[in-house]
Amino acid sequence: MSAVPLYVGIDAGSSATKCVVLAADGTIVGHGVVSSGFDYAEAADAALTLALGGTGLDRGDVACCVSTGYGRKNVRGAQRHVTEISCHARGARAWYPEVRGIVDIGGQDTKVIWIDARGELVDYRMNSKCAAGTGTFLESVAVRLGVPLSAIDALAMTSTAHSVLNSYCTVFTGTEVIERIKSGEPRQDISMGLFRSIAARVFEMCAARDGPIAATGGVVAHCRAMLRALEEIFGAPPLLPPWPQQAGAYGAALLAREVDPHDLDERPRSAQSEVSA
Amino acid sequence: MSHAVPRVEIRAAQQLKSLMRDYFLDLDAAACDADRRVAWCTSVGPCEILVAFGFATYFPENHGALLGAKRLSHQLIPYAVSAGYCAESCSYMNSDIGAALRGVSPLQDAYGIAGPPRPDLLVYSTNQCREVQDWWNFFGRRHDAPVLGICPPTHLGEITPAHVRFVRGELQALIERIEAHFGEKLDRDRLAEVVARSSAASTLWRRVLDTARARPAPISFWDGLIHMAPVILMRGSPAAVAYYETLLAEMQQRVRDRVGAVPHERFRVYWEGMPVWPRLRDLSDKCLELGVAVAASTYCNSWAFEDYSGGDPLEWMARASIAIFINRDEPTKQAFLLEMVRRFDLDGLIFHNARTCPNNTNSRFGMTQRLREDHGLAVLSVDGDLSDQRFFSTAQTMTNLEAFVEQLEVRRRPASSAVSQEVAG
Repeated sequence: MSAVPLYVGIDAGSSATKCVVLAADGTIVGHGVVSSGFDYAEAADAALTLALGGTGLDRGDVACCVSTGYGRKNVRGAQRHVTEISCHARGARAWYPEVRGIVDIGGQDTKVIWIDARGELVDYRMNSKCAAGTGTFLESVAVRLGVPLSAIDALAMTSTAHSVLNSYCTVFTGTEVIERIKSGEPRQDISMGLFRSIAARVFEMCAARDGPIAATGGVVAHCRAMLRALEEIFGAPPLLPPWPQQAGAYGAALLAREVDPHDLDERPRSAQSEVSA
Repeated sequence: MSHAVPRVEIRAAQQLKSLMRDYFLDLDAAACDADRRVAWCTSVGPCEILVAFGFATYFPENHGALLGAKRLSHQLIPYAVSAGYCAESCSYMNSDIGAALRGVSPLQDAYGIAGPPRPDLLVYSTNQCREVQDWWNFFGRRHDAPVLGICPPTHLGEITPAHVRFVRGELQALIERIEAHFGEKLDRDRLAEVVARSSAASTLWRRVLDTARARPAPISFWDGLIHMAPVILMRGSPAAVAYYETLLAEMQQRVRDRVGAVPHERFRVYWEGMPVWPRLRDLSDKCLELGVAVAASTYCNSWAFEDYSGGDPLEWMARASIAIFINRDEPTKQAFLLEMVRRFDLDGLIFHNARTCPNNTNSRFGMTQRLREDHGLAVLSVDGDLSDQRFFSTAQTMTNLEAFVEQLEVRRRPASSAVSQEVAG
């Protein structure tokens, strides 16, 4: 296999920046995740460096880069910007051609994306401005629980009770968590209830559509409890890509392969007319 | 790229500026003149009666929109909330009440006047929402002025003669109460003249909006939000009729010259619901960048009433009052939207879920789903608010809009060019 030219997808998310590098034949030759910090451009550079590390390849081999995520416009060297909705759909479908719904639970928002049998974007929903149902929600309530974010998943997985949190917003959930701790409810049950709360928000965004669902995003990548809660509410385990957090970057890299090299100019632009979803 | 071609500005905007200036200066003068009277009226209220009585008419909703557009609402709403008004009630109302409590008005900078004119009378119609009643009552108490109103039947499907008779009766009773309060008889011939002018302006406005059926659309929703001011504020005046004659001529010329509101128009969509006044520029710029012409909207059409062809002016007012979109039931609204999609040859619809305006939000009872699933339309719903920018996320909305355009592109592509399956490496 000849790796070069390379095609790069960078997903500059609110919490983490993900990069996937593809060889000319579409094989993943490298991927990486770094914290987004406060500078998307720097984080994108770091993610690309990480993804290329150990491959023996360098930036000069990159034929095309497509960026996605909240910081997509800040990614240096990206020839196209595509929304994370199209990219997650593209990435998840590449892993699972049968997929119809993609649930992406990220740091700042949650999306539910529906595609048809041809992989075309049919519909999508994003959470409202409120943080409930996102990674930020989890982060915020973990503080109330007195549990480090990194430990909340393991704790939740030990729960045997079917605890459900009743509040709809992050602030009210925080208050509810404190009340439950005071009333003696085990923290593992409250933790699992937290994941069920996110799953419920996801479920209500699904608009009663049918079809196999894949789960992507950072929360899914790091929390088995999230998958458990999704399985409970959907009645079947979601499809889980090999690198759920990199699904958007993978989709972006696949789209980079489809950009006509003759159509590239120096100015990055939105992909609307040139790149398919 | 769409940016490469400059947008051709609408020339009538200059005329509109001076018209608006004259209107507000006259209102201010009327409020200071012991021989003149000022009436406040809801935007789709019975203003023709007030004009025929000789009142200078002022529309507080316009002030609410101005406060939103100037990004003042979120600073003023807390004062209304502290006075007992719920933060999730109408943000026009809350920001207007907050502005009054703080003595703030965009009219100060714009026209050098102190603010809204002091009312001698406040008149509402709940054909649009019940919030206006309490909004008006706040100012009635504040200015010790009478508050009168009509409460037409709402959520109507078919409009029956009984509905029209009922509302006509309310209008007649309103006239009698005004006559009794001010000791002055309404000149019925004058009312017919005012209604005729109101209808003429409204008809011209509808024809202006209809020019957007052309490709490219010569006028967009964003332009319409500016140019609809006379059909609200100056309804019944000769100035409004003259203005829309000028604007219509310009739009017709733009159609002939193929001048679009969005150069290189790629997609045509509908805006359902209230504008997001604090973010109009962001949204219109994004549409421009994406090549999206918002060619039709519910909001701008709210003042496109039926023609008046003589006869009983009160009956025309009664019918116009209840026939408006906001006052109709879900099936009627849905049928209207479908007809607009057909008439304007639209690619999709954007619904604005305005947090504090449930009455003018139509994405809350399954309509978006029905339009998607039963009619195969591309529909986007965005969260926001008419005036309170705290309910609006710019980043999320822009991503939503971009993704919507990506979806429209997919729908436009021939099926044979669908993306082939990928095998993961």
